Amino acid sequence: MTTKRGLITDSFKVVKRAKRGGKREKAPPSPLPQKDAETVREEDLQQLIQFDLDWRFGPCTGISRLQRWERAKHHGLNPPEEIRDLLLQTHADPKYKLSLWSEYPL
Amino acid sequence: MFSDLNAQKDGSSLLCCPTSDDQGPIFERASLSYIPLFERYRVGERSFSRQYAHIYAARLMQMRPLLAERAQQKWGPEVLIRKLCELQTGEQCCIVGTLFKRMDLQPSILKEISEEHNLLPQPARAKYISEADELILEDELQRIKLQGKIDRDKCVTGSVIAIYGAERNDGKFTVEDLCTADLPLQTARPTLSSDRFVLLASGLGLGSSHADSMLSLQLLVDMVTGQLGDQGEQSRSATISRVLLAGNLLSQCTQDKDASTKAKYLTKKTQAGSVDAIRLLDELLLQLSSVPVDVMPGQYDPTNYTLPQQPLHSCMFPLSSVYPTLQLASNPYQANIDGVRFLGTSGQNVCDIQRYSSMDSHLQILEETLRLRHLAPTTPDTLGCYPFYQKDPFILEECPHVYFSGNAPTFESKLFKGADGQEVLLVTVPEFSSTQTVCLLNLRTLECEPISFAAFSANDDEESEMNISH
Repeated sequence: MTTKRGLITDSFKVVKRAKRGGKREKAPPSPLPQKDAETVREEDLQQLIQFDLDWRFGPCTGISRLQRWERAKHHGLNPPEEIRDLLLQTHADPKYKLSLWSEYPL
Repeated sequence: MFSDLNAQKDGSSLLCCPTSDDQGPIFERASLSYIPLFERYRVGERSFSRQYAHIYAARLMQMRPLLAERAQQKWGPEVLIRKLCELQTGEQCCIVGTLFKRMDLQPSILKEISEEHNLLPQPARAKYISEADELILEDELQRIKLQGKIDRDKCVTGSVIAIYGAERNDGKFTVEDLCTADLPLQTARPTLSSDRFVLLASGLGLGSSHADSMLSLQLLVDMVTGQLGDQGEQSRSATISRVLLAGNLLSQCTQDKDASTKAKYLTKKTQAGSVDAIRLLDELLLQLSSVPVDVMPGQYDPTNYTLPQQPLHSCMFPLSSVYPTLQLASNPYQANIDGVRFLGTSGQNVCDIQRYSSMDSHLQILEETLRLRHLAPTTPDTLGCYPFYQKDPFILEECPHVYFSGNAPTFESKLFKGADGQEVLLVTVPEFSSTQTVCLLNLRTLECEPISFAAFSANDDEESEMNISH
Protein backbone atom coordinates (compact mmCIF):
# COMPACT_ATOMS: atom_id res chain seq x y z
CA MET A 1 0.00 0.00 0.00
CA THR A 2 2.72 2.41 0.92
CA THR A 3 4.59 1.73 -2.32
CA LYS A 4 1.63 2.87 -4.41
CA ARG A 5 1.59 6.24 -2.76
CA GLY A 6 5.20 6.98 -3.60
CA LEU A 7 5.32 8.35 -7.15
CA ILE A 8 7.96 6.66 -9.25
CA THR A 9 8.29 9.70 -11.50
CA ASP A 10 9.43 11.90 -8.68
CA SER A 11 13.09 11.52 -9.25
CA PHE A 12 12.88 11.80 -13.05
CA LYS A 13 10.58 14.80 -12.97
CA VAL A 14 12.99 16.77 -10.90
CA VAL A 15 15.90 16.18 -13.28
CA LYS A 16 13.96 17.02 -16.44
CA ARG A 17 12.27 20.10 -15.10
CA ALA A 18 15.42 21.46 -13.63
CA LYS A 19 17.16 21.20 -17.00
CA ARG A 20 14.43 22.82 -19.06
CA GLY A 21 13.72 25.44 -16.47
CA GLY A 22 17.36 26.36 -16.25
CA LYS A 23 17.60 26.96 -19.97
CA ARG A 24 14.50 29.10 -20.09
CA GLU A 25 15.63 31.13 -17.18
CA LYS A 26 18.99 31.76 -18.76
CA ALA A 27 17.66 32.98 -22.07
CA PRO A 28 15.48 35.97 -21.00
CA PRO A 29 18.03 37.94 -18.95
CA SER A 30 20.73 37.82 -21.68
CA PRO A 31 21.38 41.31 -23.09
CA LEU A 32 20.49 42.19 -26.69
CA PRO A 33 23.94 42.15 -28.42
CA GLN A 34 24.65 38.69 -27.04
CA LYS A 35 21.30 37.55 -28.34
CA ASP A 36 22.31 38.69 -31.81
CA ALA A 37 25.45 36.58 -31.69
CA GLU A 38 23.29 33.74 -30.55
CA THR A 39 20.90 34.11 -33.45
CA VAL A 40 23.76 34.33 -35.94
CA ARG A 41 25.11 31.13 -34.50
CA GLU A 42 21.68 29.57 -34.69
CA GLU A 43 21.35 30.53 -38.33
CA ASP A 44 24.80 29.23 -39.16
CA LEU A 45 24.10 25.95 -37.47
CA GLN A 46 20.78 25.72 -39.25
CA GLN A 47 22.56 26.21 -42.54
CA LEU A 48 25.06 23.52 -41.69
CA ILE A 49 22.30 21.15 -40.67
CA GLN A 50 20.67 21.75 -44.04
CA PHE A 51 24.00 20.85 -45.63
CA ASP A 52 24.14 17.67 -43.55
CA LEU A 53 20.69 16.72 -44.68
CA ASP A 54 21.39 17.23 -48.39
CA TRP A 55 21.47 13.66 -49.68
CA ARG A 56 23.35 14.54 -52.85
CA PHE A 57 26.60 14.89 -50.93
CA GLY A 58 26.49 11.41 -49.43
CA PRO A 59 26.29 10.18 -45.88
CA CYS A 60 27.37 12.61 -43.17
CA THR A 61 28.09 10.40 -40.17
CA GLY A 62 31.61 9.55 -39.10
CA ILE A 63 33.36 12.30 -41.05
CA SER A 64 33.70 16.01 -40.44
CA ARG A 65 31.60 18.48 -42.39
CA LEU A 66 34.66 19.84 -44.14
CA GLN A 67 35.69 16.34 -45.26
CA ARG A 68 32.21 15.81 -46.62
CA TRP A 69 32.31 19.14 -48.39
CA GLU A 70 35.67 18.31 -49.94
CA ARG A 71 34.45 14.92 -51.11
CA ALA A 72 31.46 16.54 -52.79
CA LYS A 73 33.76 19.10 -54.41
CA HIS A 74 36.14 16.36 -55.57
CA HIS A 75 33.33 14.52 -57.30
CA GLY A 76 32.04 17.68 -58.97
CA LEU A 77 28.80 17.99 -57.05
CA ASN A 78 29.14 21.76 -56.48
CA PRO A 79 28.62 22.04 -52.74
CA PRO A 80 27.84 25.62 -51.61
CA GLU A 81 30.98 27.70 -51.13
CA GLU A 82 29.59 29.57 -48.14
CA ILE A 83 29.48 26.32 -46.20
CA ARG A 84 33.20 25.92 -46.69
CA ASP A 85 33.93 29.49 -45.65
CA LEU A 86 31.81 29.07 -42.58
CA LEU A 87 33.55 25.82 -41.67
CA LEU A 88 37.01 27.28 -42.17
CA GLN A 89 36.19 30.22 -39.92
CA THR A 90 34.87 28.11 -37.12
CA HIS A 91 36.87 24.91 -37.42
CA ALA A 92 37.72 24.77 -33.71
CA ASP A 93 34.14 24.48 -32.54
CA PRO A 94 32.93 20.86 -32.60
CA LYS A 95 29.36 22.09 -33.01
CA TYR A 96 30.37 23.43 -36.40
CA LYS A 97 32.98 20.85 -37.31
CA LEU A 98 30.99 17.66 -36.82
CA SER A 99 27.75 16.61 -38.38
CA LEU A 100 24.31 16.71 -36.89
CA TRP A 101 24.45 13.07 -35.83
CA SER A 102 28.00 13.08 -34.44
CA GLU A 103 26.87 12.58 -30.84
CA TYR A 104 25.11 9.37 -31.69
CA PRO A 105 27.12 6.18 -31.45
CA LEU A 106 27.65 4.40 -34.77
CA MET B 1 59.63 -17.38 -76.10
CA PHE B 2 61.80 -18.14 -73.17
CA SER B 3 61.79 -21.94 -73.32
CA ASP B 4 62.21 -22.23 -77.09
CA LEU B 5 65.38 -20.25 -77.05
CA ASN B 6 66.69 -22.35 -74.22
CA ALA B 7 66.17 -25.50 -76.22
CA GLN B 8 68.16 -24.26 -79.18
CA LYS B 9 71.37 -24.47 -77.22
CA ASP B 10 72.70 -27.98 -77.12
CA GLY B 11 73.88 -27.80 -73.54
CA SER B 12 77.41 -28.87 -74.40
CA SER B 13 79.02 -26.40 -72.08
CA LEU B 14 77.98 -28.54 -69.16
CA LEU B 15 79.60 -31.71 -70.42
CA CYS B 16 82.94 -30.39 -71.60
CA CYS B 17 86.05 -29.75 -69.57
CA PRO B 18 86.17 -26.42 -67.79
CA THR B 19 88.14 -23.86 -69.71
CA SER B 20 91.53 -22.91 -68.39
CA ASP B 21 90.36 -19.71 -66.83
CA ASP B 22 87.70 -20.83 -64.40
CA GLN B 23 85.91 -17.53 -64.75
CA GLY B 24 83.00 -18.28 -67.07
CA PRO B 25 81.22 -15.69 -69.15
CA ILE B 26 79.32 -13.10 -67.17
CA PHE B 27 75.80 -12.26 -68.15
CA GLU B 28 74.60 -8.82 -67.14
CA ARG B 29 71.08 -8.94 -65.86
CA ALA B 30 68.81 -6.82 -67.98
CA SER B 31 67.68 -3.84 -65.99
CA LEU B 32 64.59 -1.83 -66.62
CA SER B 33 62.92 1.30 -65.49
CA TYR B 34 60.53 0.84 -62.65
CA ILE B 35 58.02 3.27 -61.21
CA PRO B 36 55.97 1.99 -58.29
CA LEU B 37 52.46 3.40 -58.42
CA PHE B 38 50.89 1.88 -55.37
CA GLU B 39 50.82 5.09 -53.37
CA ARG B 40 47.08 5.16 -53.91
CA TYR B 41 46.73 1.91 -52.00
CA ARG B 42 48.54 3.26 -48.96
CA VAL B 43 46.41 3.90 -45.95
CA GLY B 44 48.03 6.56 -43.82
CA GLU B 45 45.71 7.53 -41.04
CA ARG B 46 43.67 4.52 -40.04
CA SER B 47 40.35 5.40 -38.59
CA PHE B 48 37.75 2.70 -38.29
CA SER B 49 35.07 4.91 -36.78
CA ARG B 50 33.24 5.27 -40.06
CA GLN B 51 30.55 3.19 -41.61
CA TYR B 52 30.83 1.64 -45.03
CA ALA B 53 28.05 3.81 -46.43
CA HIS B 54 30.75 6.27 -47.46
CA ILE B 55 32.57 3.90 -49.76
CA TYR B 56 29.37 3.04 -51.60
CA ALA B 57 28.45 6.73 -51.82
CA ALA B 58 31.92 7.66 -53.10
CA ARG B 59 31.83 4.77 -55.57
CA LEU B 60 28.51 5.89 -56.99
CA MET B 61 29.62 9.52 -57.11
CA GLN B 62 32.74 8.54 -59.01
CA MET B 63 31.04 6.11 -61.38
CA ARG B 64 27.85 8.04 -62.15
CA PRO B 65 29.37 10.46 -64.70
CA LEU B 66 31.28 7.63 -66.38
CA LEU B 67 28.19 5.48 -66.66
CA ALA B 68 26.01 8.34 -67.85
CA GLU B 69 28.48 8.86 -70.67
CA ARG B 70 28.53 5.14 -71.53
CA ALA B 71 24.75 5.01 -71.45
CA GLN B 72 24.54 7.89 -73.90
CA GLN B 73 27.03 6.16 -76.16
CA LYS B 74 25.07 2.95 -76.07
CA TRP B 75 21.45 4.08 -76.14
CA GLY B 76 21.81 7.38 -77.93
CA PRO B 77 22.34 10.91 -76.57
CA GLU B 78 18.60 11.38 -75.97
CA VAL B 79 18.34 8.59 -73.47
CA LEU B 80 16.48 9.58 -70.34
CA ILE B 81 18.71 9.13 -67.30
CA ARG B 82 16.56 9.08 -64.19
CA LYS B 83 17.11 8.81 -60.49
CA LEU B 84 14.96 6.23 -58.79
CA CYS B 85 12.94 8.91 -57.00
CA GLU B 86 11.89 10.42 -60.33
CA LEU B 87 10.89 7.08 -61.82
CA GLN B 88 7.44 6.83 -63.38
CA THR B 89 5.69 3.57 -64.03
CA GLY B 90 5.94 2.46 -67.63
CA GLU B 91 8.45 5.09 -68.71
CA GLN B 92 11.44 3.83 -70.69
CA CYS B 93 14.54 5.20 -69.04
CA CYS B 94 18.04 4.50 -67.86
CA ILE B 95 19.08 4.27 -64.23
CA VAL B 96 22.57 4.34 -62.79
CA GLY B 97 22.99 2.56 -59.51
CA THR B 98 24.79 0.05 -57.34
CA LEU B 99 23.73 -3.56 -57.59
CA PHE B 100 22.84 -5.47 -54.51
CA LYS B 101 22.20 -9.19 -54.62
CA ARG B 102 20.07 -10.45 -51.79
CA MET B 103 21.28 -13.95 -51.10
CA ASP B 104 19.71 -16.42 -48.71
CA LEU B 105 22.87 -18.44 -48.43
CA GLN B 106 25.18 -15.54 -47.74
CA PRO B 107 26.75 -16.12 -44.33
CA SER B 108 25.58 -13.59 -41.82
CA ILE B 109 26.81 -13.18 -38.30
CA LEU B 110 23.41 -11.96 -37.14
CA LYS B 111 21.77 -15.06 -38.54
CA GLU B 112 24.33 -17.23 -36.81
CA ILE B 113 23.72 -15.59 -33.47
CA SER B 114 19.95 -15.72 -33.68
CA GLU B 115 19.88 -19.28 -34.84
CA GLU B 116 22.59 -20.77 -32.74
CA HIS B 117 20.16 -22.18 -30.24
CA ASN B 118 18.10 -24.38 -32.48
CA LEU B 119 19.86 -24.95 -35.76
CA LEU B 120 22.80 -26.95 -36.98
CA PRO B 121 25.71 -24.95 -38.29
CA GLN B 122 25.57 -24.37 -42.02
CA PRO B 123 27.90 -26.57 -44.03
CA ALA B 124 30.79 -24.77 -45.64
CA ARG B 125 29.92 -23.98 -49.24
CA ALA B 126 31.96 -23.30 -52.31
CA LYS B 127 29.26 -21.04 -53.72
CA TYR B 128 26.57 -19.00 -52.04
CA ILE B 129 24.27 -18.45 -55.00
CA SER B 130 20.81 -19.96 -55.05
CA GLU B 131 17.59 -19.85 -57.06
CA ALA B 132 15.99 -17.52 -54.54
CA ASP B 133 18.53 -14.73 -55.04
CA GLU B 134 17.16 -11.33 -55.92
CA LEU B 135 18.84 -8.47 -57.68
CA ILE B 136 18.20 -4.98 -56.38
CA LEU B 137 19.49 -1.70 -57.77
CA GLU B 138 20.21 1.10 -55.34
CA ASP B 139 20.92 4.75 -55.91
CA GLU B 140 21.47 7.48 -53.33
CA LEU B 141 17.94 7.31 -51.98
CA GLN B 142 16.01 4.28 -53.06
CA ARG B 143 16.18 0.75 -54.29
CA ILE B 144 14.21 -1.25 -56.80
CA LYS B 145 13.98 -4.95 -57.56
CA LEU B 146 15.18 -6.00 -60.97
CA GLN B 147 13.87 -8.57 -63.40
CA GLY B 148 14.19 -9.22 -67.10
CA LYS B 149 17.31 -9.43 -69.19
CA ILE B 150 19.95 -9.40 -66.53
CA ASP B 151 22.01 -12.41 -65.58
CA ARG B 152 21.28 -12.68 -61.91
CA ASP B 153 23.89 -15.28 -61.06
CA LYS B 154 26.69 -13.51 -62.85
CA CYS B 155 26.17 -10.17 -61.12
CA VAL B 156 27.72 -9.38 -57.80
CA THR B 157 26.87 -6.95 -55.05
CA GLY B 158 28.60 -3.60 -55.25
CA SER B 159 29.02 -3.30 -59.00
CA VAL B 160 27.88 0.03 -60.36
CA ILE B 161 26.01 -0.35 -63.64
CA ALA B 162 23.49 1.46 -65.83
CA ILE B 163 20.29 -0.35 -66.75
CA TYR B 164 17.78 0.44 -69.44
CA GLY B 165 14.12 -0.50 -69.22
CA ALA B 166 10.92 0.47 -67.48
CA GLU B 167 9.17 0.01 -64.19
CA ARG B 168 6.16 -2.30 -64.40
CA ASN B 169 3.00 -2.12 -62.38
CA ASP B 170 4.25 -4.69 -59.91
CA GLY B 171 6.92 -2.25 -58.74
CA LYS B 172 9.76 -4.17 -60.31
CA PHE B 173 12.02 -2.76 -62.96
CA THR B 174 12.17 -4.77 -66.15
CA VAL B 175 15.67 -4.60 -67.54
CA GLU B 176 16.02 -4.64 -71.30
CA ASP B 177 19.68 -3.87 -71.54
CA LEU B 178 22.54 -2.91 -69.29
CA CYS B 179 25.92 -1.33 -69.62
CA THR B 180 29.02 -1.20 -67.48
CA ALA B 181 31.65 1.50 -67.12
CA ASP B 182 34.01 -0.55 -69.30
CA LEU B 183 37.73 0.00 -69.61
CA PRO B 184 39.31 3.38 -69.04
CA LEU B 185 41.66 4.78 -71.64
CA GLN B 186 45.10 3.31 -72.04
CA THR B 187 48.41 5.01 -72.64
CA ALA B 188 50.42 3.48 -75.44
CA ARG B 189 53.04 0.93 -74.58
CA PRO B 190 56.57 1.77 -75.70
CA THR B 191 58.16 -0.66 -78.14
CA LEU B 192 61.09 -2.44 -76.56
CA SER B 193 64.14 -3.45 -78.49
CA SER B 194 64.85 -6.74 -76.75
CA ASP B 195 63.05 -9.48 -74.87
CA ARG B 196 62.84 -8.78 -71.20
CA PHE B 197 60.90 -10.92 -68.82
CA VAL B 198 59.00 -10.44 -65.61
CA LEU B 199 58.44 -13.55 -63.59
CA LEU B 200 55.13 -13.81 -61.77
CA ALA B 201 54.68 -16.28 -58.95
CA SER B 202 52.19 -16.58 -56.15
CA GLY B 203 51.18 -18.85 -53.31
CA LEU B 204 54.63 -20.05 -52.30
CA GLY B 205 53.00 -21.48 -49.20
CA LEU B 206 56.07 -21.49 -46.97
CA GLY B 207 55.73 -23.04 -43.57
CA SER B 208 53.19 -25.67 -44.56
CA SER B 209 53.46 -29.06 -42.90
CA HIS B 210 54.13 -30.90 -46.16
CA ALA B 211 57.07 -29.38 -47.94
CA ASP B 212 56.30 -30.82 -51.37
CA SER B 213 57.12 -27.68 -53.22
CA MET B 214 60.40 -26.87 -51.51
CA LEU B 215 62.51 -28.60 -54.14
CA SER B 216 60.62 -26.86 -56.89
CA LEU B 217 61.00 -23.57 -55.10
CA GLN B 218 64.74 -24.03 -54.87
CA LEU B 219 64.83 -24.91 -58.56
CA LEU B 220 62.93 -21.74 -59.30
CA VAL B 221 65.36 -19.64 -57.30
CA ASP B 222 68.32 -21.32 -59.00
CA MET B 223 66.79 -20.77 -62.40
CA VAL B 224 66.23 -17.08 -61.75
CA THR B 225 69.66 -16.50 -60.26
CA GLY B 226 71.32 -18.33 -63.13
CA GLN B 227 72.65 -21.28 -61.21
CA LEU B 228 70.85 -23.80 -63.33
CA GLY B 229 71.64 -25.19 -66.73
CA ASP B 230 74.38 -24.28 -69.14
CA GLN B 231 75.52 -20.95 -70.49
CA GLY B 232 72.63 -20.66 -72.90
CA GLU B 233 70.14 -21.02 -70.11
CA GLN B 234 72.10 -18.70 -67.89
CA SER B 235 72.10 -16.02 -70.53
CA ARG B 236 68.34 -16.40 -70.80
CA SER B 237 67.98 -16.16 -67.04
CA ALA B 238 69.72 -12.83 -67.21
CA THR B 239 66.78 -11.49 -69.19
CA ILE B 240 64.46 -12.08 -66.25
CA SER B 241 64.63 -8.57 -64.99
CA ARG B 242 62.03 -8.61 -62.29
CA VAL B 243 60.31 -11.10 -60.01
CA LEU B 244 56.84 -10.43 -58.70
CA LEU B 245 55.57 -12.54 -55.82
CA ALA B 246 51.82 -12.14 -55.73
CA GLY B 247 50.78 -13.00 -52.24
CA ASN B 248 50.34 -15.98 -49.94
CA LEU B 249 54.04 -16.35 -49.43
CA LEU B 250 53.17 -18.13 -46.23
CA SER B 251 50.91 -21.12 -46.04
CA GLN B 252 47.51 -21.07 -44.43
CA CYS B 253 48.89 -23.46 -41.79
CA THR B 254 50.98 -20.67 -40.31
CA GLN B 255 47.79 -18.99 -39.18
CA ASP B 256 46.93 -21.50 -36.49
CA LYS B 257 44.50 -20.12 -34.02
CA ASP B 258 45.86 -22.18 -31.13
CA ALA B 259 47.13 -19.15 -29.34
CA SER B 260 43.67 -17.67 -29.05
CA THR B 261 41.74 -20.82 -28.24
CA LYS B 262 44.09 -22.62 -25.88
CA ALA B 263 44.95 -21.65 -22.35
CA LYS B 264 47.77 -19.18 -22.16
CA TYR B 265 50.05 -21.32 -20.00
CA LEU B 266 49.95 -24.03 -22.68
CA THR B 267 50.97 -21.80 -25.54
CA LYS B 268 53.38 -19.55 -23.70
CA LYS B 269 56.47 -21.28 -25.00
CA THR B 270 55.20 -22.12 -28.48
CA GLN B 271 56.22 -19.91 -31.32
CA ALA B 272 53.82 -18.74 -33.97
CA GLY B 273 54.13 -20.83 -37.14
CA SER B 274 54.67 -17.74 -39.19
CA VAL B 275 57.98 -16.91 -37.49
CA ASP B 276 59.83 -19.81 -39.07
CA ALA B 277 58.12 -19.32 -42.37
CA ILE B 278 59.08 -15.66 -42.51
CA ARG B 279 62.66 -16.60 -41.72
CA LEU B 280 62.56 -19.05 -44.62
CA LEU B 281 61.14 -16.37 -46.86
CA ASP B 282 63.86 -13.98 -45.76
CA GLU B 283 66.52 -16.50 -46.78
CA LEU B 284 64.78 -17.09 -50.07
CA LEU B 285 64.65 -13.38 -50.81
CA LEU B 286 68.30 -13.12 -49.88
CA GLN B 287 69.12 -15.69 -52.55
CA LEU B 288 67.02 -13.72 -55.01
CA SER B 289 68.70 -10.43 -54.13
CA SER B 290 70.54 -10.30 -57.46
CA VAL B 291 67.27 -9.54 -59.19
CA PRO B 292 64.67 -6.90 -58.26
CA VAL B 293 61.84 -8.57 -56.38
CA ASP B 294 58.41 -7.19 -55.60
CA VAL B 295 56.73 -8.82 -52.64
CA MET B 296 52.99 -8.43 -52.37
CA PRO B 297 51.17 -9.65 -49.29
CA GLY B 298 48.26 -12.06 -49.62
CA GLN B 299 45.43 -13.45 -47.58
CA TYR B 300 47.61 -15.49 -45.23
CA ASP B 301 50.54 -13.14 -44.91
CA PRO B 302 51.36 -11.24 -41.72
CA THR B 303 49.93 -7.84 -42.56
CA ASN B 304 46.50 -6.28 -42.28
CA TYR B 305 43.62 -8.45 -43.48
CA THR B 306 41.47 -5.78 -45.09
CA LEU B 307 42.14 -4.58 -48.60
CA PRO B 308 44.24 -2.69 -49.53
CA GLN B 309 46.82 -4.78 -47.74
CA GLN B 310 49.80 -2.73 -46.72
CA PRO B 311 53.34 -3.84 -47.60
CA LEU B 312 54.94 -6.36 -45.28
CA HIS B 313 57.18 -4.63 -42.78
CA SER B 314 60.87 -4.64 -43.62
CA CYS B 315 61.80 -5.58 -40.06
CA MET B 316 60.58 -9.08 -40.86
CA PHE B 317 63.37 -9.44 -43.41
CA PRO B 318 66.61 -8.59 -41.61
CA LEU B 319 68.76 -10.39 -44.21
CA SER B 320 67.17 -9.38 -47.48
CA SER B 321 65.83 -5.92 -46.68
CA VAL B 322 69.34 -4.45 -46.78
CA TYR B 323 69.37 -4.97 -50.54
CA PRO B 324 67.80 -2.23 -52.62
CA THR B 325 66.38 -4.88 -54.95
CA LEU B 326 63.71 -5.88 -52.46
CA GLN B 327 60.54 -3.91 -52.94
CA LEU B 328 57.79 -4.54 -50.42
CA ALA B 329 54.61 -3.69 -52.26
CA SER B 330 50.98 -3.38 -51.38
CA ASN B 331 48.09 -5.54 -52.50
CA PRO B 332 46.61 -4.42 -54.94
CA TYR B 333 49.83 -3.84 -56.80
CA GLN B 334 50.34 -1.21 -59.42
CA ALA B 335 53.59 -0.30 -61.11
CA ASN B 336 55.05 0.83 -64.36
CA ILE B 337 57.73 -1.60 -65.50
CA ASP B 338 59.56 -0.38 -68.58
CA GLY B 339 56.49 1.55 -69.62
CA VAL B 340 54.24 -1.48 -69.20
CA ARG B 341 51.61 -0.82 -66.62
CA PHE B 342 50.99 -3.68 -64.22
CA LEU B 343 47.96 -3.96 -62.04
CA GLY B 344 47.02 -6.94 -59.98
CA THR B 345 46.01 -8.46 -56.71
CA SER B 346 46.85 -11.55 -54.73
CA GLY B 347 43.53 -13.05 -55.72
CA GLN B 348 41.19 -12.34 -52.81
CA ASN B 349 38.90 -10.22 -54.95
CA VAL B 350 38.64 -12.90 -57.62
CA CYS B 351 38.05 -15.74 -55.16
CA ASP B 352 35.34 -13.72 -53.46
CA ILE B 353 33.50 -13.05 -56.73
CA GLN B 354 33.83 -16.74 -57.53
CA ARG B 355 32.01 -17.61 -54.31
CA TYR B 356 29.20 -15.12 -54.85
CA SER B 357 28.53 -15.55 -58.57
CA SER B 358 28.15 -18.30 -61.11
CA MET B 359 31.48 -17.50 -62.71
CA ASP B 360 34.17 -20.08 -62.06
CA SER B 361 37.07 -19.21 -64.27
CA HIS B 362 39.46 -16.74 -62.68
CA LEU B 363 40.22 -15.38 -66.13
CA GLN B 364 36.56 -14.66 -66.79
CA ILE B 365 36.23 -12.91 -63.44
CA LEU B 366 39.29 -10.79 -64.20
CA GLU B 367 37.72 -9.77 -67.48
CA GLU B 368 34.44 -8.98 -65.76
CA THR B 369 36.08 -6.74 -63.14
CA LEU B 370 37.87 -4.93 -65.93
CA ARG B 371 34.54 -4.31 -67.66
CA LEU B 372 33.05 -3.06 -64.42
CA ARG B 373 36.08 -0.82 -64.06
CA HIS B 374 36.37 -1.95 -60.49
CA LEU B 375 39.05 -4.15 -58.94
CA ALA B 376 36.95 -5.54 -56.14
CA PRO B 377 33.22 -4.81 -56.39
CA THR B 378 32.37 -7.13 -53.52
CA THR B 379 34.23 -4.95 -51.04
CA PRO B 380 33.05 -4.11 -48.42
CA ASP B 381 30.11 -6.51 -48.55
CA THR B 382 31.82 -9.87 -48.45
CA LEU B 383 35.47 -8.89 -48.66
CA GLY B 384 37.26 -6.90 -45.99
CA CYS B 385 38.11 -3.37 -46.94
CA TYR B 386 39.28 -0.20 -45.23
CA PRO B 387 36.38 2.27 -44.73
CA PHE B 388 37.37 4.85 -47.30
CA TYR B 389 35.24 7.95 -47.55
CA GLN B 390 36.79 10.40 -50.02
CA LYS B 391 37.10 8.05 -52.94
CA ASP B 392 37.12 4.40 -53.81
CA PRO B 393 40.71 3.53 -54.77
CA PHE B 394 39.63 0.28 -56.41
CA ILE B 395 38.06 2.05 -59.35
CA LEU B 396 40.45 1.86 -62.28
CA GLU B 397 41.56 5.26 -63.45
CA GLU B 398 43.91 4.15 -66.15
CA CYS B 399 43.81 0.94 -68.13
CA PRO B 400 46.69 -1.40 -67.27
CA HIS B 401 48.63 -3.36 -69.88
CA VAL B 402 48.95 -6.38 -67.66
CA TYR B 403 46.17 -7.26 -65.25
CA PHE B 404 46.83 -10.25 -63.04
CA SER B 405 45.52 -12.03 -60.01
CA GLY B 406 47.40 -14.47 -57.86
CA ASN B 407 46.63 -17.79 -56.22
CA ALA B 408 44.59 -19.17 -59.07
CA PRO B 409 44.11 -22.95 -59.42
CA THR B 410 45.72 -22.99 -62.87
CA PHE B 411 47.66 -20.76 -65.19
CA GLU B 412 45.57 -18.97 -67.78
CA SER B 413 46.24 -15.95 -69.89
CA LYS B 414 44.43 -14.06 -72.58
CA LEU B 415 44.81 -10.87 -74.54
CA PHE B 416 41.70 -8.81 -73.98
CA LYS B 417 40.86 -6.08 -76.44
CA GLY B 418 38.79 -3.12 -75.35
CA ALA B 419 36.41 -1.03 -77.42
CA ASP B 420 38.77 1.93 -77.61
CA GLY B 421 41.76 -0.07 -78.77
CA GLN B 422 42.97 -1.02 -75.32
CA GLU B 423 44.96 -4.23 -75.13
CA VAL B 424 45.20 -5.86 -71.77
CA LEU B 425 46.94 -9.11 -71.00
CA LEU B 426 44.96 -10.96 -68.37
CA VAL B 427 47.00 -13.43 -66.36
CA THR B 428 45.95 -15.72 -63.56
CA VAL B 429 49.09 -16.61 -61.66
CA PRO B 430 48.84 -20.19 -60.36
CA GLU B 431 49.43 -21.07 -56.76
CA PHE B 432 52.98 -22.34 -56.61
CA SER B 433 52.61 -24.70 -53.69
CA SER B 434 50.02 -26.82 -55.48
CA THR B 435 51.00 -26.43 -59.13
CA GLN B 436 54.76 -25.72 -58.93
CA THR B 437 54.16 -23.37 -61.83
CA VAL B 438 55.14 -19.76 -62.34
CA CYS B 439 54.65 -17.58 -65.37
CA LEU B 440 57.07 -15.56 -67.40
CA LEU B 441 55.84 -12.47 -69.11
CA ASN B 442 57.66 -11.00 -72.06
CA LEU B 443 57.51 -7.22 -71.79
CA ARG B 444 58.26 -6.76 -75.47
CA THR B 445 55.54 -8.95 -76.92
CA LEU B 446 53.18 -9.09 -73.93
CA GLU B 447 53.07 -12.85 -74.12
CA CYS B 448 52.96 -15.00 -71.10
CA GLU B 449 53.96 -18.62 -70.68
CA PRO B 450 53.95 -20.96 -67.72
CA ILE B 451 57.08 -22.62 -66.43
CA SER B 452 56.59 -25.71 -64.36
CA PHE B 453 59.05 -26.94 -61.79
CA ALA B 454 57.11 -30.07 -60.99
CA ALA B 455 59.66 -32.38 -62.57
CA PHE B 456 59.60 -34.45 -59.45
CA SER B 457 55.99 -35.20 -58.89
CA ALA B 458 54.65 -34.73 -55.44
CA ASN B 459 53.44 -38.34 -55.46
CA ASP B 460 56.93 -39.64 -55.76
CA ASP B 461 57.85 -40.34 -52.16
CA GLU B 462 61.56 -40.36 -52.61
CA GLU B 463 61.70 -36.95 -54.18
CA SER B 464 59.21 -35.20 -52.01
CA GLU B 465 61.10 -36.19 -48.91
CA MET B 466 64.23 -34.57 -50.20
CA ASN B 467 65.28 -31.85 -47.88
CA ILE B 468 66.56 -28.71 -49.45
CA SER B 469 68.36 -26.86 -46.76
CA HIS B 470 70.28 -23.77 -47.37
